[in-house]
Amino acid sequence: MPDGPLIVQSDKTLLLEVDHPRAEEARRAIAPFAELERAPEHIHTYRVTPLGLWNARAAGHDAEQVVNALITFSRYAVPHALLVDVAETMDRYGRLTLEKDPDHGLVLRTTDRPVLEEVLRHKKIKPLVGARLDDDRVAVHPSERGHLKQELLKVGWPAEDEAGYVDGEAHAISLDSSDWSLRPYQQQAVDGFWHGGSGVVVLPCGAGKTLVGAGAMAKAQATTLILVTNTVSARQWRDELLRRTTLTDDEIGEYSGARKEIRPVTIATYQVLTTRRKGAYTHLDLLDARDWGLILYDEVHLLPAPIFRMTADLQARRRLGLTATLVREDGREADVFSLIGPKRYDAPWKDIEAQGYIAPADCVEVRVTLPDPDRLAYAVAEPEDRYRLASCSPVKVPVVEQLVRQHRGEPTLVIGQYLDQLDELAERLGADVITGETPVSQRQKLFQAFRVGEIGLLVVSKVANFSIDLPEASVAIQVSGTFGSRQEEAQRLGRVLRPKGDGRTAHFYTVVARDTVDAEFAAHRQRFLAEQGYAYRIVDAGDLPTPAA
Amino acid sequence: MADDVRDRSDGDLHELLRRRQDLARPAPADLSALAARASTRASVQRAVDNLDLAHLQVLEAAMLVSTIDPESVAASLGVTSTATVRVLLQDLWTVALLWRGAEGLRLVRTVAEVLPQAAGLGPSAREQYGALSPPEELVALAQTAPPPARAILDRLTWGPPSAVLPMGAPDRVAEGARWLAEHQLVLTPSADRLVLPREVALALRGGRSHAQPALDPPRPSGTQRTAQDVDGAAGQQVTDLLSLVDDVATEWGLRPPRVLRSGGLAVRDLKRLASALDVDVVRAAFLAELTYAAGLLADDGSLDAAWAPTPAYDEWQKQPGDRRWAVLARSWLLTTRAPHLVGTTPPGGAGTINALGPQAHWPPARGLRRDVLDQLDQVPSWLAPEAGQLCEALRWRRPRRLPGNLDEVVAAVLRESEWLGVTGRGAISSAGRALLADQDEARLAAAMQPHLPEPVKHVLLQADLTAVAPGPLAGGLSTFMRLVADIESRGGATVYRFTTDSVRRGLDAGWSVDQVLGALEDASHTPVPQPLEYLVRDVARRHGQTRVGAMRAYVRCDDETTLGAMLAERELSPLQLRRIAATVLVSPVAAETVVEFLRENGFAPVAETPDGGVVIPSSAGHRTPLQRRSAPVTAHAVDDELVSTLVVALRAGEEAAAFQREERASRQGPSLPSTDPTTTLAVLREAAADRQAVWVGYSDADGQVRRLLFHPHRVEGGRVHGTAEGSPRTLSIHRVTGAAPD
Repeated sequence: MPDGPLIVQSDKTLLLEVDHPRAEEARRAIAPFAELERAPEHIHTYRVTPLGLWNARAAGHDAEQVVNALITFSRYAVPHALLVDVAETMDRYGRLTLEKDPDHGLVLRTTDRPVLEEVLRHKKIKPLVGARLDDDRVAVHPSERGHLKQELLKVGWPAEDEAGYVDGEAHAISLDSSDWSLRPYQQQAVDGFWHGGSGVVVLPCGAGKTLVGAGAMAKAQATTLILVTNTVSARQWRDELLRRTTLTDDEIGEYSGARKEIRPVTIATYQVLTTRRKGAYTHLDLLDARDWGLILYDEVHLLPAPIFRMTADLQARRRLGLTATLVREDGREADVFSLIGPKRYDAPWKDIEAQGYIAPADCVEVRVTLPDPDRLAYAVAEPEDRYRLASCSPVKVPVVEQLVRQHRGEPTLVIGQYLDQLDELAERLGADVITGETPVSQRQKLFQAFRVGEIGLLVVSKVANFSIDLPEASVAIQVSGTFGSRQEEAQRLGRVLRPKGDGRTAHFYTVVARDTVDAEFAAHRQRFLAEQGYAYRIVDAGDLPTPAA
Repeated sequence: MADDVRDRSDGDLHELLRRRQDLARPAPADLSALAARASTRASVQRAVDNLDLAHLQVLEAAMLVSTIDPESVAASLGVTSTATVRVLLQDLWTVALLWRGAEGLRLVRTVAEVLPQAAGLGPSAREQYGALSPPEELVALAQTAPPPARAILDRLTWGPPSAVLPMGAPDRVAEGARWLAEHQLVLTPSADRLVLPREVALALRGGRSHAQPALDPPRPSGTQRTAQDVDGAAGQQVTDLLSLVDDVATEWGLRPPRVLRSGGLAVRDLKRLASALDVDVVRAAFLAELTYAAGLLADDGSLDAAWAPTPAYDEWQKQPGDRRWAVLARSWLLTTRAPHLVGTTPPGGAGTINALGPQAHWPPARGLRRDVLDQLDQVPSWLAPEAGQLCEALRWRRPRRLPGNLDEVVAAVLRESEWLGVTGRGAISSAGRALLADQDEARLAAAMQPHLPEPVKHVLLQADLTAVAPGPLAGGLSTFMRLVADIESRGGATVYRFTTDSVRRGLDAGWSVDQVLGALEDASHTPVPQPLEYLVRDVARRHGQTRVGAMRAYVRCDDETTLGAMLAERELSPLQLRRIAATVLVSPVAAETVVEFLRENGFAPVAETPDGGVVIPSSAGHRTPLQRRSAPVTAHAVDDELVSTLVVALRAGEEAAAFQREERASRQGPSLPSTDPTTTLAVLREAAADRQAVWVGYSDADGQVRRLLFHPHRVEGGRVHGTAEGSPRTLSIHRVTGAAPD
């Protein structure tokens, strides 16, 4: 019996023993088709899903390679049913192809007529296609390209999109790499995307996704529309592009609530695009304002549903999605696959951390015990109030104070969900608060001060979750969050994982009230951290080291 | 026949008894008795049912020829190789379905009874039409038949020989049938039935007995696998199986499902088991039935009966994997339970068959399972035959003894043998062969052992509160891990997850924190991750903080000294008082008794109601409501009115009897003594043979005995068919009170 590093489970998960001498080899072999689900210390779990297998097909791998990888590295006999299933699933990709035809425009071609017959009879697909051209081909209206791909994926016959892209309006963009260069994995990500045409690049926070975007723009050499989550993030993109590329201030426009500039490179927020007046999206014109050659989606996992619908109409343009995680709390991974594109590059956090590009982190859960009156109040509270009651308990305040004291001199963020709690903490700690209500200019001023080290402590609400860049935050203290969201945890951890100048260890604290839903939610998040390979500890508030007075 | 048996050599007799085992039990007294028994209907039926298609066809062909010799039988079958036929005939002689007399081979008389329509041929037409034309003329006549008649003939030629003209059949069909009857090519026992007589059928067949002689067994084809593929897959299935059986036991050990009043497992409980095991319902039913068949699971027989693992399970669990498999595989091979029936509708019944219920017991399952496996065993090594071809082969092997749903049964056996590792990827595994060779348990286990992964004695503990066992865990460790953690994924390895609930389950089962952590430490090469240790300690911190118990009485008093005095008082020791708080004592004795005892010993207690009120006895005395008593029985004397009624009734009875006597004297035929069934049968048979009428007493549907003048035609299957009063009647023998010849 071969002694491989991989164990194939009957529920289609793959267990990879990381300490095995052939583990790295096996990881490389299975990475194209299996999604890394958890990466704790000894055994990493990968899952084989249809989307993963189709991603592999899109990247040019065939079923034989997949089966071979499984058999070669498996320790025990691989369940035959799984192998058959892999082959069958992969075989479904590419039976249908979207192509450009010189006479008929966009056509759907099949290599397997019964499949075409089957999908054409489907009641949701029928209205999306036009006239039957011959036995193997059917015309598709260009505006339905996205919807058709979505529906075909739903019925399990994903179409390969080979219809190509419009070049868009040419615009010279190149990287200004006089004092820096793309890291190898960033270059691989750019190449992977460009080769595939459209798709998603998965990189951890702090691994330099903006640069991957810039690299893609330099490849495309065309006008670019960048969609980001909020204004602060838009400004950061702008600064980074000015610094890293040959683009000048006049070439980059901001399209947000505050400003409506349309320039060769335009950065727009999701919010402004999804604003509706009298039921109509008022800023849809932006999408057609120029002949965009590339559309960039920042934080794909947060893409709101209306943007998906708009994206369905943008299938002729190259699309690059950037994200730290493909896990969407709303389960719309399939839409990301069919509308933006398959995954083109992925690297596990730990690997990038090991390469020294993101900071190592020390994750600690601090448990506080609610005082007796609070426990009673908690016990009789309505279920919907319980989380707030537990997570906003005043006993957390001294613990936070103690932690702040312990890390005095290190840039520290205190992150929370509830404004009253944040205000109280800010008052006690003598720090500034940034919430959704803080004006953008004030926000940027405070961030700048924090960045240069004028202030060492900020209290922030969940606005800090997305796309703000705080390069020197090395301690994060979390006091409350959004009901155990894994995605939020990834983002918050990202806040402190950006590389530090001196290679210090980052600290990530979560203060949790014992025996309450707060602890239950924390357990979810902790599980996520452990699955990502971050060792975490649980300590009681009383056991925290008392800093020398 | 008896002479033939007497002349057989010892070897021949040995072979005869081996092949027809029913002849040996009980042991016959002598060879004549053996010969007699070998020609009884039951025994011949059994022997014929066991024949394969080649032997059956030869036997049927032999029934058609005048002298049984290889040449004429081969000619009748339409085959050229007389050598094969010779061997087959010899075989039939060996099993005493043929016997050798002075004129050569002869058929055992009862064979004709067992095979009434041998080779699909109907009765002779001689009785109805007298001598028929020679075959050539019949063929010539048939060729002149109009197309509808021709079509009917074609359908009947190779059997079955009879057909029913449906109501409202098209005119041309009726026309065709009429033409055939007019030309004496078919018999018409009733207006809507056609039977093709054997003479006509044989003429049309060109004298042959079978359209497609099948003297050689079919050879199933399929996919060729390698030994490594097959045994590897089998080993992997067995790993899964053993783990699943443990899961069934763990699940039902903790939450035993109720035994239905009808004796099975509720559909809901089966679904719950399936979801707990993460398998489909069919497999869950198989696992439950297998565990039950192996005696690892039983109805606990309590008042509120439940299904639970037996002590045998604990013994079984301690054995190595190969031994455990051997026990399961052997039980499966021998069980008469049919897990594949679970969830189907019973024949002629309503509802569905429940797992572990009496309806899932289907005795033919065992024989069929063995037959399917034997077929698998006979194909070349490591060949995985297709299910359809396997059915073909089985139909050849046992043409007369297969259920109608053979395809389903074969599919079920193939599925189950795959789950059991008896086959791997459709081909029989090395261990499967050992199972079929009926080897003992040790050798069976040894055949499976090399294909099972080595049991591991450690788990990998991880900070995300999972533990991974990179192979099957050795018995004790497996039990422990199942107790303190939930299984998240299974296969080659098992992934366990520790949760608050799972750890509490361990503590509830009596493990202490340090024992749990110690066992985890022993099982892991690496230190226990801090979050896991914290989890265990955190659960333990709250475990048992609150206590719940039941008592029959409490004593409470704000004065602790009084309670102290009660505890110290020796006279109160029968109350078994125990202090559970400074001001509360409890006692397992009834509250009234406690009050009484305390009063006797100088205390002044007051009884309390459950909601804390004081019980104040109402007035002085005790009262009870009146119990209802039944009124005493009184007998009424016999009065005149009663007597006169009685007399009238007696008179009427007397007159009725006289009338009956008169009637009996006036009616036809002999008096009918009640005869025993054997005599009745003999009388009826004789009358049928002689075409004589008999008087029978027949108890009709109302229980009235009626007399009939009956013309019996034939006696079979406990019934007698014939005519009475000019119309055909069929009487059940057990209803005939007596019979006497006319």
